[in-house]
Amino acid sequence: MYTRSANNIVERFPHRWSSCGAAVIESVPFYHVSPGSRCLVIGTASCNFRCRYCSNAFVAKEDPFVYVKKMYHLEPEDIIRAARRLECHSIVFNVNEPAVSIPSLVELGAAAKAEGIPMGCLSNGYMTGESVEILASIFSFFNISLKGLSSEFNRRYIGIASSEPIVRNIERLARGWHVEVTTPLIEGANDGEIDVMADILSDIDREIPWHVFRLLPEDEMKGERYPDISDIDAALTSARQKLRYIYFHNFVGSAWVNTQCPRCHSVSIERVSLGCGGDKLKRVVGIGDRCPACGSPIRMLNLVSNRKENT
Amino acid sequence: MSTAIIDARGWQNCFDLRTGDEAEIVGPVCEMVKAVLAGHPYPGDTDFTSNRWVTDTALDLIGRYEPRFVFLTYAQQYFSGRYESMAEGARKDMISRAFGEVERFADASGFAPIIVGTGDMTPVTGIVDLTGLEGLAICTHWSTRYTGLFDATKKDLAFLEGHPGIEGYMPWSEVLSTFGETDRKDARLPEYLLMSRKGYAFRTVGILMKVPVMIPSTNYHIPVYAPGSDAMNITGIRGLIEESLHENKTALIVMEGVGCDDFLWPYRSFGNGKDWFYYEPSEAQYMTITSGRHRFIDFPSGNKYFDVDDRRRDYPFSGIFKSAPQGSFADTFPGKSIAVGNKSMFMHMVTGVDISVECFARNLYNQGTMAVVRRENKV
Ligand code: SF4
Repeated sequence: MYTRSANNIVERFPHRWSSCGAAVIESVPFYHVSPGSRCLVIGTASCNFRCRYCSNAFVAKEDPFVYVKKMYHLEPEDIIRAARRLECHSIVFNVNEPAVSIPSLVELGAAAKAEGIPMGCLSNGYMTGESVEILASIFSFFNISLKGLSSEFNRRYIGIASSEPIVRNIERLARGWHVEVTTPLIEGANDGEIDVMADILSDIDREIPWHVFRLLPEDEMKGERYPDISDIDAALTSARQKLRYIYFHNFVGSAWVNTQCPRCHSVSIERVSLGCGGDKLKRVVGIGDRCPACGSPIRMLNLVSNRKENT
Repeated sequence: MSTAIIDARGWQNCFDLRTGDEAEIVGPVCEMVKAVLAGHPYPGDTDFTSNRWVTDTALDLIGRYEPRFVFLTYAQQYFSGRYESMAEGARKDMISRAFGEVERFADASGFAPIIVGTGDMTPVTGIVDLTGLEGLAICTHWSTRYTGLFDATKKDLAFLEGHPGIEGYMPWSEVLSTFGETDRKDARLPEYLLMSRKGYAFRTVGILMKVPVMIPSTNYHIPVYAPGSDAMNITGIRGLIEESLHENKTALIVMEGVGCDDFLWPYRSFGNGKDWFYYEPSEAQYMTITSGRHRFIDFPSGNKYFDVDDRRRDYPFSGIFKSAPQGSFADTFPGKSIAVGNKSMFMHMVTGVDISVECFARNLYNQGTMAVVRRENKV
């Protein structure tokens, strides 16, 4: 987060990280980025949202001043070294919102670029056009959280007035970068917007992988009912006609985590879900970015070549 | 084939435990287990009814399956104080209620209990920050006593020697020889094993974002309730179970985070390791209890666990396990056996029982429950 110092906006705790560890890229989740690759997952503290269900509230909703003593102090070269030692193919920011730590990420991004390590992030996408350009200069793959559309939902569950900037930023990023989108579903709150969200995303790009999450009721929503899996699966029926890759997960044992060929529906990538950031690659059938049965292309960002392949 | 039945609260799916492939299952045992899961949604690791869930689920399963051996784990008191401070009175009260659950279980089931505490907890008084080392230090979230060090430099060793939170470090070859092994080769094993002092936890890259407030103490000894026994060491517990089963239906009950200071039943103090080494609450400690021999080397702290985590491997629902461990008592026990516990998803691996029911909670996030049916041929 930021503070004002002599008429400048400065980061309060630069190069302080709440996490730094190896993970599989499916667990972030990225399903269409180098399947089975290992990433160094990093995060800082605080957020520009206050989602009622935040799983990382102890970091995201905490004043970094309170949390800073518990954080890693790692300069960019330390993080690069950790990524190398842990044999990570990429560095992914995924705990809280990257827009709250831009100066540190700019420095880290420059160091990672110099070392040829690609960076990706999870973001709530709620930022100015200027900020999104900065993030686009740091990261080459994004998973943006589109949490809901109605202003009532956004005010009540997220603490913002409108999702318009998020949709605008998804559109902007999808023009040049690999983008996946995540939506946690809360029955009776935003499940009625499934088809409209699918329409918005398919207007931007039908190939955007969409991760529909069963909400895990945490933080202020702890103790509330877990959304019904069968009902959400049924509610996704028409959205599945609109977007080519829809996944329904964030719960252990999900049956909707495999990648199917958009044309012939053969399975090209199998995964297993342990829920809540625990997804894993099970097997790649064929070569991953081509359907093993009909040869149609499958949207996949290959981190080695760092190139987006469109169908 | 062992079958994993997952209940994600209101929705169930079945898998081949080894491959993780979805599986169509039919048969009276699996149907019965599905009904047990559906009837007992897991309240969460730190919920005040978490230990009650263990008793209720076990009694239900006993009523339907009629086992002779039961393995239970009660862990609510271990998780509740780990990341959030608890007043001493509240902690004692929670432990007392945990023993109340044991009593309720024993009264209702008629099983003869053998009760093992995994060791006392102690407040965190300091952190050993190893992120500045030139070598690579690896420690897992739940281990605070041991850390592995790879590619150590002279400067690193000098740092360790001067640190008040480090009790010592030992070349891995010496660790091996403590357990009578000499030539185990595995690139995931560290060059040195580091040991912290009481009250200290390690900070390395890759540990959980949550910082613990209570951690396992220096538990060279653990309490065991086993009337009439003369065993002295953790490796003797298996023999106690076997003996008891000659006469009685028997329940081995593990109380997580409870040591000699807090154990409420009469107990005998058992050695919890070997020489300089003692077990933390872990898979290795459970395997030692159930197999009757030391298993630290099979499940070592401080290894490069991530080297197997992101490649295709078997047993995706079984935590650190990539193969089914051998040697648990219940593997070869001819009678019916079950396990129920709220200490995460490894009981099906360490107990060797016919049917296990466990919570599926990862880093305290409640995902539901998992049952594993290893054998259906005893019905
Ligand atoms: S945007 Fe993410 S990190 Fe921020 S409060 Fe919401 S869920 Fe938490």
